[in-house]
Amino acid sequence: MDIQLKRGLLDVCVLAAIKDEDSYGYKIIKDMKPYIEMSESTLYTILKRLELSEMLTVKSVEHNGRLRKYYSITEAGIRRIEDFKEEWREVMSIYRFVTKEDTGNE
Amino acid sequence: MSKQNFISDLRARLSTLPVAEVEERINFYSEMIDDRIEDGLSEDEAVSAIGNIDDIVSQIISEIPLTTIVKEKIKPKKQLRIWEIIFLAVSSPIWLSLIISAISVILSLYISLWSVIISLWAVFISVCASIIGIIASGILHIMSSNYLAGVALGNVGVVCTGLSIFIYFGCRAATKGTLYLTKKLALGIKNCFIKKEVS
Repeated sequence: MDIQLKRGLLDVCVLAAIKDEDSYGYKIIKDMKPYIEMSESTLYTILKRLELSEMLTVKSVEHNGRLRKYYSITEAGIRRIEDFKEEWREVMSIYRFVTKEDTGNE
Repeated sequence: MSKQNFISDLRARLSTLPVAEVEERINFYSEMIDDRIEDGLSEDEAVSAIGNIDDIVSQIISEIPLTTIVKEKIKPKKQLRIWEIIFLAVSSPIWLSLIISAISVILSLYISLWSVIISLWAVFISVCASIIGIIASGILHIMSSNYLAGVALGNVGVVCTGLSIFIYFGCRAATKGTLYLTKKLALGIKNCFIKKEVS
């Protein structure tokens, strides 16, 4: 898959994982696992990128005597998900057109 | 491998990177290991689930800009003594010129690589421009009833169009290759800075 495309998709996946409630690194990986496998190093890079572009905020919360980082989505992050949905409606309709002949032959 | 070993290994191998950056990453991995242990995994399993340490180190190095690595490397680890400063100042004609020549070599390598690419694209653009010229003059010849010359020019135009398609794909492949080479070169330079410190 095209690197830029994959990067954009993974960003939205992580945003979706923290959309309904604040989450932490391990839970994000676990929640995404049925859909997409992601290494810790990749997740770190994505979280950092999203934090720099102000799509999420980070806060440290005490948990079992240690600190755990929780990530919360911002307005810009929610907007990114909405834009993604809009863009992909278009992509899906193109996909349906491209694969029209394939499904017609089946 | 225990969590402690994993973290001290990672810290040692990233010692040439900015401390704040390294500690932030280590805290991240440490939290991941703790969460996995809390989830029921053994310490050994939790550490192996993080992945191969070589892959982690090379990914981190590739993500941190070369300028950050160099800045961190040349930053003195301790306050310099007077005689060290004097020695550095006196020997500056030697090390400064060596550094400048090393930078110039790398820079000239980049420039020569990319000038080849620019000239390839220039050839492509000039072929495209000549196609337009040839076809336009062909049309003019036909309009002035000089059919033979017009058709000949039209044919030349078609041949050039075919040629330009080949040139386009060649240019694209060369650009991609150079981009890959540039990235590899940057990674190689970064590794030079990091490996020296570790060994």
